[in-house]
This record gives sequence, C-alpha cells and structure tokens, in this order.
Amino acid sequence: MDNTAIYSGVARTDKARILVVDDDREIAMAVEKLLAREGFDVIKAYDGMQALEALAANQVHLILLDIMMPKLDGLSATMKIRESRNIPIIIISAKSEDSDKILGLSMGADDYVTKPFNPLELVARVKSQLRRYMHLGDIANGQKSSVLRTGGLCLDTDAKQLTVDGEPVKLTAKEYKILELLMSKPGVVFSAEQIYEAVWKEVPYSVENTVMVHIRRIREKIEINPKEPKYLKVVWGIGYKIEKI
Amino acid sequence: MVTRLRRFSTNSVTKVAAFILTVLILTGLAEMALYIYFRDMDLQRIFTDDYFDSREFADLMGKAAAEAGEALLSGELPGNVPYHYYISDGSKELTNVENPDRSFFEQFEPAFCALENGRWYLKNHRNFPYSSVYYYKLSNPDVRDVLKETNRIYIAYPKEYTKAQEQEWTQGRAVVIRLVTAAAVGAILAVILAIYLAAVTGRKPDDRELHPGRIDSVYSDILIAILCFLVVPWYLLAFSAFETGPYDRGVLTAYHKGTLAVFGIITLSVTALCGMIVLALIRKIKAGTLVKHSIIYKFLCRIYDFAVSLFDGRMFSRYPLTRSLFYRQLIFIIISFVFVSLTFLFLLTGSLAFIIPPVLEAVVIYWYVKGNNRTYMDINRGFNESFEEQMKSERMKVALITNVSHDLKTPLTSIISYIDLLSKEDLPESASDYVRILGEKAGRLNNMVSDLFDLAKSTSGSMPVDIDKLDLKKLIEQTLADMGDRIENSGLVFRVRLPENPMLIFADGKKLYRVFQNVIDNALKYSLQGTRVYISLEETEGMAVATVKNTAGYEMDFTAEEILQRFARGDKSRTSEGSGLGLSIAESFTRLCGGRFRVDIDGDLFKVTVSFNLAQQ
Repeated sequence: MDNTAIYSGVARTDKARILVVDDDREIAMAVEKLLAREGFDVIKAYDGMQALEALAANQVHLILLDIMMPKLDGLSATMKIRESRNIPIIIISAKSEDSDKILGLSMGADDYVTKPFNPLELVARVKSQLRRYMHLGDIANGQKSSVLRTGGLCLDTDAKQLTVDGEPVKLTAKEYKILELLMSKPGVVFSAEQIYEAVWKEVPYSVENTVMVHIRRIREKIEINPKEPKYLKVVWGIGYKIEKI
Repeated sequence: MVTRLRRFSTNSVTKVAAFILTVLILTGLAEMALYIYFRDMDLQRIFTDDYFDSREFADLMGKAAAEAGEALLSGELPGNVPYHYYISDGSKELTNVENPDRSFFEQFEPAFCALENGRWYLKNHRNFPYSSVYYYKLSNPDVRDVLKETNRIYIAYPKEYTKAQEQEWTQGRAVVIRLVTAAAVGAILAVILAIYLAAVTGRKPDDRELHPGRIDSVYSDILIAILCFLVVPWYLLAFSAFETGPYDRGVLTAYHKGTLAVFGIITLSVTALCGMIVLALIRKIKAGTLVKHSIIYKFLCRIYDFAVSLFDGRMFSRYPLTRSLFYRQLIFIIISFVFVSLTFLFLLTGSLAFIIPPVLEAVVIYWYVKGNNRTYMDINRGFNESFEEQMKSERMKVALITNVSHDLKTPLTSIISYIDLLSKEDLPESASDYVRILGEKAGRLNNMVSDLFDLAKSTSGSMPVDIDKLDLKKLIEQTLADMGDRIENSGLVFRVRLPENPMLIFADGKKLYRVFQNVIDNALKYSLQGTRVYISLEETEGMAVATVKNTAGYEMDFTAEEILQRFARGDKSRTSEGSGLGLSIAESFTRLCGGRFRVDIDGDLFKVTVSFNLAQQ
C-alpha cells in the first residue's frame, strides 16, 4: 500500500471522534484499536439503535457502520442519521455486490468498504472522509468556475493544481491534461484515441497501451485502492471515465 | 492305436487325398452313366441271364414282326431278311421257306413268333410285341388290320443267326455287369469317403478344437447360393448331354467322345468346388453357426430387434405415465389392425357388415385420444412440479451462497484486523515472522473465498450481467496494459497479434476483463521461464476468436476438462498462490457473457480459446 504514504503525514484530523457500529464485538474492537493507533477517539455501538443513542449523546465526526445488525440495520440507520446530520458515514459490510454498494451510497453513505477489509485501506478511507468533512472551507473556496470537482477530487484549472480530499497531489503535464479532459465531463466515457488526440495532439495509432499506462499512474496517485478505483474507472473494451459523484 | 488312427485320419494330407479321391469317384460315376447311356447298354441285362428272355431278343423279334405286319398291307417285304417267314391274309401268301408249316417254324423255338387268330405269340414274352421298341410300327392305325382273324404270320430266326446275337448280348451283359459293379463299389466308397470327410473336416491332429476353413467366413446362404449356381447349370448341362442322345446307338463317335471329355472336366471342377462348399457347410453345422452365420439370419435378427424395440415396453417400466401411453398405443394399433382387416374381409365377401368395424374404430380413436390427453396433462403437471422444485432449490442455493459468504467473511475480517494489530506490536523476531505468515495466509484465504463465491454465483446463475457492446481488441489491450508491470517482470516474452480494426462484441466488460486477467495470470504463473506467450485475436466465420498460448514449465498430466474443474491446479502440490479457480471462473464468466471458452493441451503447449459472436455492424 504505497499510496498510504501520501496520507501518512497528515495529522490535522487528530482527535476526531469516530463511532464504530458492528454487532460483531471483536470486529468493533479491532477497528477501535486500528483507529486508536492512528490517534482517533473511538466510541463503539453494537446495533443501529445504540448507534443513534451514542450519536445523540456524543459529538461525533465520522461513523463506521455495518449493514447486517439486529434491531436497526445499517441502511435504516444511515437514513435516520441523514434526516438530521451531515457527518461522513462509511459502510463496512460483508455484502460485496455492486448492487449493495450502489444501494448503500444512494441511502446517503459517503463510502462503502467490503469485509474483510484491508486495515490500512480502512484507515486511509477514514482519513480521506474526515479531511473532506473538516475542510469544508476549502471546498467553499473552490466554488470558482475554474475548478472541476467530483467527490473529493478537485482540479483547479487556473492553478493547474489537483487536490484529493484537500491534499495536493503532484501530476505530470500529461497526467494533468488527461485528468482535465476526463473531469471536464464526469461520467462520460472517452476512448484511448480521443484522449490521445486531445492530450498528445497527434494522430492516434496503437495508443491503448500508452494511455492505459498513464491512467494506471494517475490512479495510483488519486485512488486509495487503485485495484478498486473510486474515481478513475476503466470501462473495459470501451474507454475511460471519471465517476460522477 | 486310437491316437495314431486319429493322427492319420485328421492329417491334412490324408484329408486332401480322400477329398481328391471322392471327387474323382463321383466324376467317374457321372462319366460312367453317360457312357452307359451313349453305348445304349440296357441295365435290365443284369437281371436277365437268358438272351431269349431279354428285351433285345424281343426287339429283334418285334422288328421282324413289324416288317411282316407292314408287308401284310404293302404286299411285300424288304428284299433280304435274316429270318424265315410266312405271311398270309387268308388269300395271299408271302414266304421264303419251301414248306411254310407251323411245325417248321416251331423247330426254331424260342426264336419263333406267330400271329394266329388275332393274337401274337412269343415264348416267355407275354406282352409281345408291345414290349418291344418296334411296337409303334404296329400301333399305327393303318396296321391295326394286322390283327384280323384271317391274318397269319410265322417268323423264325435261324439258329446260327440267334447264336451270334446271343453271343454278342452275353458279351455286352458282362461289360454292363462289370461297369455296374464298379459303379456300385465306387458309390459305396464315395459314400464312405464322404462320411469320413464330413467327420474329420475342421479337425486337426494336434487338438480337439474345430478349425474353420478359409471359406467358412463366407455367409452360409451365400455358400448355398454358390452351390446352387454350380449344381443347377451342371444338371442342365448333363441333361442336355443326355438329350443329344446316342447319335448312333451302341457306337461311340468322335462327338460322343468329345462330349464325354468336356462333361468329365466340367463335372470334375463342379464336384471339387461343390465338395469344398459342402464341407464348409458341414464345418459350420458342427460349429453350430450354419444358421447364425448367414445374411438371412442377420437380416431377420435386425427386423426382429427393430420390431421388438417398437413394441418393447420395458424401457418405460420406471415411468408409469409414459408406460400407460405406450400400452394404450399398443392396444390402439392392434385393435385398429384387426378392424382394418375385418373391413377388408367383409368388403371381399361383399358383406354389408363392413360398416361396423369403422364405427367401432371411431370409438377406439375417441378412447385413445381422450386417454392420451389425460396422460399428457399428468406429464405436464409433473414437469411443472419438478421445474418449480428446481427453481426453489436454485433459489435456496443462492440464499445459501449469500449466507455462507457472510458467515465466512465476518470471522475473516476479525482475523485480518487482529493480525494487522499484532504486526504493529513489539514482538520477538520469530513471532513477527509468524504473524507475517499468518497475514499472507489470511490474505490468500480471503482471495479464495471471494473467488469461490464468484464462481458459485456465476454458475448458479444468480450473478447479474451487464451486457454492453464493446471492442474485444481494446479490452485485451487494456488488460495487457493493466497487467503491464507483472508481464515485464515475468521474464516471459509476450507476442501479441491483434487486428487493425475493432472487434465489436456484446459482453460484460468487467467480467470479460476478469476472464483475460485470469487467463494471462495463468500463463504468467505456469509458463516455462524464458518462453514466449502468444496472444492473438482474429475474426473467423463471424466470430471473434482470442487465443492465449503458452509453454508450460512442467508436465501437464491432466486433461483439458480436468483443468476446468473447480480447484484443479496445474501443479498437484498446490503450494503457489491463487485459489485454483482462475480458469474455472474464466470459463464460467465467458459463458455468462454468451461466449465460448475452450482449453487445449498439446504436449507442453497450453492453449486457451475465447470466442464470441461478432456484433452486427
């Protein structure tokens, strides 16, 4: 997990309070330890109802929520929380189908992590969400027309600067141009030829490999888990796109 | 002694000799018959020892009587006759003796015949002259008058003349007796030899087995047909040889000799061939294969089998519904056949009753159709029930997969998390090594569990598929670029040959990526170091066909089917990474997308072919 190095130095989220909700006490405890190790303050709850109670009683900055729980399941809890609160919610579930992920995100969750999770990845995602949540000021800052934005991805076309959840990321000129092209139309699929023509300004011939290599590098810079990218996606057999979030 | 006799009798030389001898004897018998016929030898001579009782003597007398009879009408005799005669019609007289008295002629008895009072007389020959070959001359209506009461004929041969005739006859008789005796001996010998041959044919001195001959492999009916084709023309030939008849009875002309020679040669060959065939048939009888080893038998067996297969209800015994259908059909056919036959019968006899069977048949048809419909309904119901059963079990399977998946993943999550926590602890060096190993194994277990559920879901049909039009060429290029690092570090050379133009197909891109990822992954893992991996894509008969070929780094002692079975692994030791499900998943996903997945193993060459129908442009 080389990419975590990018975030390891970030310590502005210190002492953020995180609510961990899982009916499996061992998992809840493990997550608590993982996060405590990173300096977070952790509260635990073992079902949806407890989670709501804990949320009412404490100042919480982020929630990690299991789906399959007694009394009140994770999806219903998410909906309940979203009625009044805006804090980041990360769902942690053994349900790994695409349809489960889409359902969870559409209920108002900010991220979806499947069990069994990679501990480093989990921490990275928590940090990523917290940064976005805690740096709302930056986001307000970036309401300029020159800024392309999707999820935590923020591309300032004036300053030619990319930030991921507020963290600046260094890109090469080609990488920047590719990202600019894709982010200009989020959700639209570009073929390798189109990207090559727009970025290299040459006649495209056998360019799939060149483009794909660049895409891979960009992914390593902006994705928490490049193997399961959140933003920059390959549409197999067609092209590439930036997910519209 | 017995064994020595057996050795001798079953010896092939003995058998061949016996066979040749039999053939020669039979040919000789045929020749003898023809010779006797040509020489006009009367076989009755054997049973008559007195010349004057013989047919030849009656003929001699008959000839003279006929001439005399004719003379009665024409009034004259042929000039020089060797006999004494007196012919009178009551008024006119013809004679060549001075004293034509009965007593004169009687002295030549038994060479004396007479016509008196409308009756013929010859001693010892009561039916004279009707028993002689010249009788036809006297039965002529014109010569009926000969028997008039007034006519009188005396004929007598001089003693010297009959003496000479008798001598010749006796000599001839001796010849006939010799011939017939020889024939009888020959025939008996032939019969004995034939019995001997029939007994020993197929036997050999060294064992008690029955050895089939060379022509035994020919079907029995063909052998019999050949036999007929030999014997019938031979018989016709013999018949015509006899038909030609003694041109000049008693004397052998060159023509007769030629006929005898030709007939002999033909008879010899026919007898030899027929003998061999008959022996073959006898061997077959001994082996009990005469009937079975024949075209007709085989043909009848086929017909019998066919008929049995049509009317054999055993194959339905385990299915009561189809069995009832079958028996109803059988009854229907039999009853219908009876009714049709009855109708024809009544029609032939002109009876008006022919109307009855069709009416009954209509009733039977009603019963048949009604019963069948009911059975079909029952079958349909059973079919639906089993279909729903299956759907239910399929749904249960999917639910089971989901539940088991959850139940496995939850403890795995704890394991992986606590291993991570442990690894961050300050542990002795050996303990942190163990933790590292635990981490690796937990990761592998995780991969296996997720692969297993991918496969279970895709094969149970509960995996959603997102079919889209995509370019297979692009997909392969993307996959290769995606795996670029691993390919570069593998030490293998990739030879990729892709077409210029896009290959558009309908498939689920994500799944198809997994397919090629797994296939290439397989090539990377199991190829021999330093060899080449060939990847190609081409269009064949409206299909986009992608192939990945690599040289295995070990002996592949499994079949293409085995490698696709779940958990099959190239190396039996199962030590390396991976779940062993890669190719199974690739196959299952390909099928899910509507493509074909095929593995070929040829020596060390491992080849995977993935093909899809091309999308219409």
